[in-house]
Amino acid sequence: MLEVAFVLLLVLLVVTALGAVLIRGYITSIIVLSVFSVVTTVIFAFLQAVDVAMAEAVIGAGLMTAIFVTAVSRTQKVRRDRKERSL
Amino acid sequence: MTTRAYAVAIAAVAAAGLGYVLLSYAVTDGALLPVAARYVTDGVRDTASINIVSGVLLDYRAFDTLGEATVILAAVAAVSALFSGSTIGTDSHGAGLLVQRSVSYLAGFFWLFPVYIIANGHLSPGGGFQGGVSLAVLIVLLNVVFGTRVGSQRIGVKHLHWAESLSAAAFIAIGAVGIVQGGGFLANLSAGFPAGSPGSLISAGAIPLLNLVIGVKVASGLASIFYDLISGDRVAP
Repeated sequence: MLEVAFVLLLVLLVVTALGAVLIRGYITSIIVLSVFSVVTTVIFAFLQAVDVAMAEAVIGAGLMTAIFVTAVSRTQKVRRDRKERSL
Repeated sequence: MTTRAYAVAIAAVAAAGLGYVLLSYAVTDGALLPVAARYVTDGVRDTASINIVSGVLLDYRAFDTLGEATVILAAVAAVSALFSGSTIGTDSHGAGLLVQRSVSYLAGFFWLFPVYIIANGHLSPGGGFQGGVSLAVLIVLLNVVFGTRVGSQRIGVKHLHWAESLSAAAFIAIGAVGIVQGGGFLANLSAGFPAGSPGSLISAGAIPLLNLVIGVKVASGLASIFYDLISGDRVAP
């Protein structure tokens, strides 16, 4: 039973990692990345690495989300013509 | 489902299976390497810290921790050199009244968590790094909720830079005590720091001091990176 839960967590880990890369839209991608960090935290706690789990939770889900959202909100979207982009 | 979604699902399952095999191999292979076995059996006696991870990070391998702290210092210096001269915008008003009120009532309890993590670094999981990052996140929270004008006036960039530099100097000073006492750089119990009784709050020699210093250093460094990010003009990607 415990092993099934662990494998489910690992599948969720890979799904959220792929989602963070493939999803269009910066904010959604960042939120999925923080979900990835939460799943990683649970896996670390599962493996009795509580110190690492705490660091992952604080950095991955807390600080990285804040810094990424700040970076996205400080940048502007540039509209380009399709011709220009293809070059 | 499209073929792309199928491909993603298959890749996910395959990667998860591979990860499970590798992890279960790593977990069930129970024999410890000699160095790890030494840490587990003698760690509490050598460092007086019942959290062995803290004992390794701040006693056996304290010099490596100093290297990590230097990496953060270099990163902060590089980022603030990039953004030097730009000022923090004061146009942000923060979140709504309801959020501001509730956060102002809860802020005291929010401060309690990193303080607990740092103070109990040698007793329970956590330590200076984790507590310091949550302090930095707290400073980010105050800036987001109350607006950058209020936040950056209460905890300014200048204060953070001072705290960063002073705590870096304090780390090296604690290490130098070991040299003066004849125990080597960053020596803990052999340099005469009192061991106390393992498990009590005041114990483990220099480890609580180093935790405090690292907590202040990480918090001020990461928070000043955040301030650098929100300062200056909006830029096009």
